[in-house]
Amino acid sequence: MASKIEWETSMDKALSRAKAEGKHVLLDFFNPG
Amino acid sequence: MDAVTYPDEGVAKFINDNLIPLRVAFDHKPLASDFKVKWTPTLITLDSDGVEHHRTVGFLAPEELIGSLMLGIGKSNFDREEFDKAIATFGSLLERHPKSDSTPEAIFLRGVSMYKNTHDPKPLRASYDKLTAEYPDNEWTKRAYPYRLIN
Repeated sequence: MASKIEWETSMDKALSRAKAEGKHVLLDFFNPG
Repeated sequence: MDAVTYPDEGVAKFINDNLIPLRVAFDHKPLASDFKVKWTPTLITLDSDGVEHHRTVGFLAPEELIGSLMLGIGKSNFDREEFDKAIATFGSLLERHPKSDSTPEAIFLRGVSMYKNTHDPKPLRASYDKLTAEYPDNEWTKRAYPYRLIN
């Protein structure tokens, strides 16, 4: 099954996960059109 | 990015395995202002405290995005003086994506990280030699120019 990026939409949740999982955050500012 | 790069299976796997992906609109309040975003796509690598370490603006093809993200992680390690981690991350980038546009900067910063770790200047000279041989016209080769004097 193909991988799909599972985007977070909350900075607080992303940083909380980053601390818990020992990862960095990729923050993507995009144009939803 | 949505048409080409993000659907790429290698990109999706790399991001899901190595990063927490966070996506917000270009006019998000307060993040767009906090990060002074002026154009899309703007991609920023943050550490877990929310501190920025690397940024790109504009489209990146799959191979370039993975290299850029590895560079961002390595720069975060470097900025936080986690030099062992930085050396490993930059080394992995050089090994796995030698043709990436991010690779010359990784060569430069790997040499600096090695110097910071040991205070032995030879890695600086080695970075200059590698950059000169493989990326003679790159800006990072020019920045390493003083290291040619190290014996």
